[in-house]
Amino acid sequence: MQQTFYKVIGVLLVIYSLIFGLLTSIPELPIIEESIRNLFYHVSMWFAMVAMMAGSFAYSITFLRKEKIQADHRTEALTETGMLFAFLGLFTGMIWARFTWGAWWTNDPKLNGSAITILIYLAYFILRNGIEDERKKARISAVYNIFAFVMMIVFIGILPRMTDSLHPGNGGNPGFNSYDLDNRLRLIFYPAVIGWVLMGTWIASLRYRIKKLSNS
Amino acid sequence: MSNIRLLIQRYIRQEIRNSNAIFSLGIYLMGITYLIYQLGGSNASDNSWNTLLWVVVFFACIMQASRSFELESRDYFYYYQCIAGPKETIVAKLIYNSLYMLFLSVIIWGLFSLFYGNEVSRPTVFALGLILGCVGFSSILTLANGIAERSGRSTTLSTILALPLTLPILKLVSTINMHAMVGAPFDETAAIIGSLVTLDIAIGLLAYMLFPYLWQD
Repeated sequence: MQQTFYKVIGVLLVIYSLIFGLLTSIPELPIIEESIRNLFYHVSMWFAMVAMMAGSFAYSITFLRKEKIQADHRTEALTETGMLFAFLGLFTGMIWARFTWGAWWTNDPKLNGSAITILIYLAYFILRNGIEDERKKARISAVYNIFAFVMMIVFIGILPRMTDSLHPGNGGNPGFNSYDLDNRLRLIFYPAVIGWVLMGTWIASLRYRIKKLSNS
Repeated sequence: MSNIRLLIQRYIRQEIRNSNAIFSLGIYLMGITYLIYQLGGSNASDNSWNTLLWVVVFFACIMQASRSFELESRDYFYYYQCIAGPKETIVAKLIYNSLYMLFLSVIIWGLFSLFYGNEVSRPTVFALGLILGCVGFSSILTLANGIAERSGRSTTLSTILALPLTLPILKLVSTINMHAMVGAPFDETAAIIGSLVTLDIAIGLLAYMLFPYLWQD
């Protein structure tokens, strides 16, 4: 019962945010205009990705403490789902940037942060692929994953705040901050984030079950 | 504590005995600096000077760190595991690698000053940047090399693992050194130095806590 409950909630919240994200009235801001609706589709992807990576970080710690191989399978499943959200966040951001900034890619701290994040986690999969022994693979990749998560938080959370950026929500640009994010947007944005996190959990649990079956 | 000192002494003695490695690093540094000189480095602006310096320092550090676990490869692993615990090993490696990288970056700074002139207006801040940068590099590169060594494919993997992870430090440290070059007031630099110190401590602690899990079979 509990297993179905969160999936239903997740699906409902995602459908709600997809439909009402296009219908809701928005604050009129210069430059960003109608593209502020991307808040519901682009920013929620990154929130979901960080949630997935935080989950995989937690399971890596669990593995190192208890040495249970299931924790490693969960780590891998969550990281894969997180990567999916990272790529979706990257593509939605690139499409937005093409129409708002006129370029697919710019040299911006936020964009660099996301590119580096993707490189870090691609390296994680390369590392995993190279090791035969299952326990050794689990232990070594858990060590790397813990280290990588901390560096990712530093890169996407702290560094962009120290330099100027064109990205909405930075350096006086309208967007995601306490003054601009008014209640109409919040009413859609928060459900979107929760909905996508629940969907991510569902995807990750499916991947985990596939791994468990193919291993036994 | 005394064990750590003995380990560091052992690493240094090994490095001096194996003089081939030092000379190849030295020739690499001379070669790359002279190459940049030939390509017009002497006309470089402050910004390019700083960028070139950090690229050379970064690759020298990668080359140096890639040999961090050379001693412990294959059968010697068990020998070193017997004489020192993982916590002692990682502390010794971190100190040794930081000092070695600092030594290399001071040489690079000297070579750059020799060929292109020293334009740094605040040498103490610049030196502080080098020290903090080398400490951070040594934690990340040592751990990445440990991971690569234990997974059995050390040559390319360590670079792939370390390159994205070192970027935050590289970014902070090049900003500090840019401030030192143009002589920005210290108040402006202090905030960046503070965050780099915090980052260095955090990375060092992480490496210290995680290494014992790598250092077992």
